[in-house]
Amino acid sequence: MSKNGPLALSFHALVVVFMLAPLVVVCLVAFTPENTLSLPWHGFSLRWFRAVFERADFIQSFYNSLILAVVAATLATLIAVPAALAITRYRFPGRDFLNGLFLSPIIIPHLVLGVAMLRLFALMGVNGSFVWLMFAHVVVITPYVLRLVIAASIGMDRSAEQAAESLGASRFTLFRLITLPMILPGVAGGWLLAFINSFDEVTLSIFVTSPSTQTLPVRMYVYATESIDPMMAAVSALVIALTAATMIILDRVYGLDRVLVGRH
Amino acid sequence: MAFLQLQALCKRYGPIDAVVATDLSVEQGEFVSLLGPSGCGKTTTLQMIAGFVDVSAGRILLDGRDITHAKPASRGLGVVFQSYALFPHMTVRDNVAFGLKMRKVSAADIERRVSRVLELVRLTPHAERYPRELSGGQRQRVALARALVIEPPVLLLDEPLSNLDANLREEMQFEIRRIQREVGITTLMVTHDQAEALSISDRVVVMQAGRITQIDEPYHLYEHPRTRFISGFVGKANLLRGDRDASGAAQVRHQPGDGELVLSLRPEKIDLVPAGTGRLQGRVVMRYFLGSQWLYRIETPIGEITVVRRNDGDAPMNEGFAVGLDWPSDLLRVLSVDEVPA
Repeated sequence: MSKNGPLALSFHALVVVFMLAPLVVVCLVAFTPENTLSLPWHGFSLRWFRAVFERADFIQSFYNSLILAVVAATLATLIAVPAALAITRYRFPGRDFLNGLFLSPIIIPHLVLGVAMLRLFALMGVNGSFVWLMFAHVVVITPYVLRLVIAASIGMDRSAEQAAESLGASRFTLFRLITLPMILPGVAGGWLLAFINSFDEVTLSIFVTSPSTQTLPVRMYVYATESIDPMMAAVSALVIALTAATMIILDRVYGLDRVLVGRH
Repeated sequence: MAFLQLQALCKRYGPIDAVVATDLSVEQGEFVSLLGPSGCGKTTTLQMIAGFVDVSAGRILLDGRDITHAKPASRGLGVVFQSYALFPHMTVRDNVAFGLKMRKVSAADIERRVSRVLELVRLTPHAERYPRELSGGQRQRVALARALVIEPPVLLLDEPLSNLDANLREEMQFEIRRIQREVGITTLMVTHDQAEALSISDRVVVMQAGRITQIDEPYHLYEHPRTRFISGFVGKANLLRGDRDASGAAQVRHQPGDGELVLSLRPEKIDLVPAGTGRLQGRVVMRYFLGSQWLYRIETPIGEITVVRRNDGDAPMNEGFAVGLDWPSDLLRVLSVDEVPA
């Protein structure tokens, strides 16, 4: 492997700094004792974290977002895996149409989708329903899973399936023991991407959430439009910490590159 | 009746005929190679036998049973793929045990049979490794073991050696033959490498443009190629124009111009004799050192001729050297015109 020169190294360092700086700043601001968004020059305080946990509506929104993201990402994966296998392996009428249909939510602005779904849900009389909010999320996150599973399915050695078939595996056994484990990195990566996309979706959710189903990002957005105080920074810091902790645990238990890159 | 039989087997992809009316009989315990250039239909034929490709017309009989339209899982054949097609998420032992688990063999039996076959392919020390931790040759052995452990009636090998480097390829050739002999399994191998086909097969089937053009034992195939294409594809050959003498025997025409016959003369069958003697006079244009042999290209009035001589330790001839060529006339082979385009 060739070594990076000093120019490349400093460029990489700048990119990393550019990406991490906002996160570092928001985490520092969360510890401020002041009433404004300022860096904690004059001592650290946990008062804004305490403030978060005293806000039952924020806690409720966090659970809303978590459940929503887990269920929606799982549903999206259940739809995307068979769809990706069908699209990559078979030629059938409407194949390109299906592929395009599944991808369209990425192309259409979420704002437009949000307004459209608000009208649709109003017509159906299901405005503010958690189940329908979930379906809305499934629509916008399925393309992410689909892309990753399609890539994994194309990259997989099909002759391994033929080998399993000739060794006597039924179609279901084949999927369970050979195909799924071989495309698992794509499936797991797709699920994670879908989860993240659902968890921080704001634009669409603003239109289709009700006070009782409000997700964390929407709650934060609404709160921030009214008052800007360091509690926002505290919430952000908590979300960052939770994400980092999840990644570390996943890496320790299962190996992140095993899940996402596919080193068996 | 033969153990494995192909009867007028055809495969059409739209307007393209990939395999045309192929008949083949393979006896029990026999090692048969399908040899041909890429796109000749040999792999398609193998895949039809394995059940991965639908048959357009004709029949496949295995031990008298018609398996033409049976599912791959119910044929019970052992298949080794060009890419090995190992299961990357399973250890060597689990890869090999897969077919037995599918057959609901008891755990104790699986253990015993897997150990025995790993011994056969000399992989016992690597049983707990993953495919990514193995070399190309070892992966090849895993693929063989996985196919053999289910004790299939027929072993199908699809270009099994083409992903190995030259030295290893030769070693694995002999290894495959040893295992095949030891197990006594009927084997059909697809290859584009004539040396591979000649060295380890009982019979070689030459395919060209979807058709079988010659079926023969390796030695006979080499000595008596039927067509011009085969004489060039299987080994090296000098193609010469010729006609028949008064007694009806083939002879080379020594004047340039069209003779009525196409003759094949293998490079190692030609003797180099002092200039002025022999059947033909020439001059060495190029020489190549092949280790155990010297290869000379010699310019003669009837065209350039390739001659291979054993390296017996003497100094070779220099380029530009005048030399005579001689050969026993009974080693000239008359070729038929190719009936299919090359």
